[in-house]
Amino acid sequence: MESQALLGLGTKLLDIDEQRFRQVVGLLEHMGDHPDVQKTFSLIRPRLVELKPRRRPTMKRLFCEPFEDLFEPLDRSAPAPLKTIERDVVNGLWPLVEAQIGKERVKSFSGALRPVAEAPDGPDMALAFWTEAGEAVALIAGQFEAGRFAEDLKLRLTPDRVRAVGDIARILSIAGPVAELKAVLAPHPVVRLHQDHLAGVQEIGRKVARSRPEALKIFILLAAARLADPSLLLGGLWNMELGQKSGDRAALFLELSGTVITQIEERSRVMKQAPRQSADRLAVADLAAGLVASLEATRSAMEQSRNSSFDQRLKAVRGSVHEMVRSQILEGATGDILEALEEMRDGTMNGAAPAQAAETRDQLLRAENHARALRKCATIADTLGLRGELKAVTQKTLSSLTDTARQLLGRGAGSATPASGSRAGFTAVRMIELIAGPAEANQIMNDVLNGKP
Amino acid sequence: MGRVNAFGSRGREGAQREKFNAIFRERSCNRKHRIRNAGWPSMRSLTNFAPSTFEERGAAVAFTTPVLSQTRVRKNLHEELEVLVSNLSEGRGVYVVPWKALPMAFPMTAHDRMLQDLIVKAEGCSPGDIRTAVLEAARCGLAGPLAVEAAEAALGDDDEQRLLINFQLIAEVLKAVGLESSEFLRCGLGSEEGQKLTRELMLKGAKKLSIEPTELYARVAELAALMQPIGLTSSPKPGRLRRLMRELANFRDSMTEWTDGNPSEAAPIGGFCAEVAEHTLNHARNVVGQFDQAMEAFETLLRQWDAKRTVVRRAATRLSWLMDGWEFLIATWAEAQGKSRHEQDLAVHELFRVLPLLPRAESASDQVSAADQVMAANRRSVRAYVDWRSGQLDMDLVMRIESIKTRAA
Repeated sequence: MESQALLGLGTKLLDIDEQRFRQVVGLLEHMGDHPDVQKTFSLIRPRLVELKPRRRPTMKRLFCEPFEDLFEPLDRSAPAPLKTIERDVVNGLWPLVEAQIGKERVKSFSGALRPVAEAPDGPDMALAFWTEAGEAVALIAGQFEAGRFAEDLKLRLTPDRVRAVGDIARILSIAGPVAELKAVLAPHPVVRLHQDHLAGVQEIGRKVARSRPEALKIFILLAAARLADPSLLLGGLWNMELGQKSGDRAALFLELSGTVITQIEERSRVMKQAPRQSADRLAVADLAAGLVASLEATRSAMEQSRNSSFDQRLKAVRGSVHEMVRSQILEGATGDILEALEEMRDGTMNGAAPAQAAETRDQLLRAENHARALRKCATIADTLGLRGELKAVTQKTLSSLTDTARQLLGRGAGSATPASGSRAGFTAVRMIELIAGPAEANQIMNDVLNGKP
Repeated sequence: MGRVNAFGSRGREGAQREKFNAIFRERSCNRKHRIRNAGWPSMRSLTNFAPSTFEERGAAVAFTTPVLSQTRVRKNLHEELEVLVSNLSEGRGVYVVPWKALPMAFPMTAHDRMLQDLIVKAEGCSPGDIRTAVLEAARCGLAGPLAVEAAEAALGDDDEQRLLINFQLIAEVLKAVGLESSEFLRCGLGSEEGQKLTRELMLKGAKKLSIEPTELYARVAELAALMQPIGLTSSPKPGRLRRLMRELANFRDSMTEWTDGNPSEAAPIGGFCAEVAEHTLNHARNVVGQFDQAMEAFETLLRQWDAKRTVVRRAATRLSWLMDGWEFLIATWAEAQGKSRHEQDLAVHELFRVLPLLPRAESASDQVSAADQVMAANRRSVRAYVDWRSGQLDMDLVMRIESIKTRAA
């Protein structure tokens, strides 16, 4: 197949139905490791991540297994691991590793790709392969300074990339403990960290500290990458006994704290940069709630360790989350929600054209998200010092919505049903429910439908 | 990879189940208990309730309140509505809650309060009655604009099918009595000319069949009402339940494919869901087969109406009960496609919670015992449906159920 045709296929593959997509992925895999095939895979990777079709096991995939959790996320808005590895670096590195070990020698480990039922020695073989690959990567990383391999990598050799190759070597050298860690912190991502998780990380961490102390830091970062929120690990880390000297432990904790805070800062910065008009308010609220949880976890870990060196940075992040919630969720909330309701009321009464009806629906969906965002903010308003402001906005919106519901549903008091009542009136009740919860909405609906003042 | 059929013999478990049912039925009649827990401690699921008939199992209601989602409603011996809620303390068995007491027992969404009202106002609680109420409630807007659109599309589709089935049945009458129907087919039922022609032809048809014209109209009307959700084999667009059967077959295939070679602890549960889908589908195919057979001998059906109508009515009712509740499962599974393995595992557990097992009188296999075995082998803590910090409704979960509702309308 022509390379142009292949790349064209890549963009088409993003739109075809799921079954055909899986078939085409299977066919592409049989075409081997051709660069154009690889480019096509890069193009369709977001959909591969989404659908996760069963991929053919390859030695390259096996090579990546220990450090796959550190791959940069394809969705830029998703939280990235504390340390990331670019896929391009691995794509450039793998041929070098293959050459270093020797293709025939690499093939001799292919038993590791077979299911355990067929090849009982598969896990041992995989471990031997990772050890050998780790040595090869360490050798390659060592040669970078001398200028060797830099061109073969087919990438500009930045300090970050050199660091990533070093990390890969270190992770491969502890591939056994990493496999154990993955089993302990499963399924990925772990949303809540339990005592058995922490005990598991500590036990494996001790082994790493004894055999490869230089890999302990990357091991902890890998553990953090298995969590939905890496800051969760901070709280447990301070009390974790990894068999290090107290000075080393404090240094490791400080380093991880610094990395966690940098990531929180990064996340809050990304959100701040999003254009205000187009922002999905619920996503903003979700992110704000996530950031506040991370901030709280980090703050309590800092308190435990009596460390105040990050106080200013934490305060700055809190300030920016405060500003973001205020400007993107609280500001204009009442107007947005009521305007959507007004649009709907006019559209329903005038029999809107399909295109206008679709626009009204989309506006209503955005308003619903805004209402949900307001409710979500109630859980973080205290921490952010926005309690009063949120209360004022919520009360103002609820009072206007109640008036609308009374006006639209009250006319047929006592007999209002979906057939006779106004849809806009019920939508006002729904908005009340999304902001204040079902108890309040039901109370208002009952009062209005039963003609109570 | 071969799979072991989970429907084993009943044994001691079955005997215990009989005892449990006897207690349960007794308790169902006990009016002293406003809310009754009818069972012993175990996992939380409606699958460990073993009804004998569809009516005892109740019809699934598309509530958006998470704890009530797909819970079943039925009538008790006094013809009063009651709802079956799976045990809240993660125990075995179900709570039987009087319909009116539902809002006192659970914080419900405004949509659900409206739906509850509409179901009370409707005469019955068959799957058809519940569906009508569900679509009416969704139309009012309390479940969001997408649910409104989905409900209106479903109601529009019903109207279209009603018109189509009337047209087809009249064409069948004419064909059965050997009258030329090409003119009627050309005019259709929409125009005045077409309606006039139809009346003339039906008069002739009634004469040939030796049936009173009003009686012929009444029979066709009754048949049309029964046929509307099923449709004829010759329909250009299959009826709703036939479409649902096709989707159920796809669900079974997709679930079987997902299960094969999957090391997850949810895989055996998924396998069980696929098996129940397969059994349901086999029963549904039999019913549809009987239906189509009756329609093929259309003249006999019209002539021997008193005897045959019961068969057709029973088949239509049975099919609606067989397919009841599957829309939600199919839509939930469709939504889980493309999500992470973990989310798919959770979706499978959710499906198991509301899996519509066949009542004992309807199936030779004891699905409840089989479900018990699957559950016993795959214990896990079940998610709570309220926010643990505040006891408030989990609004994110409500949002997810609403989004499934827009697919399952």
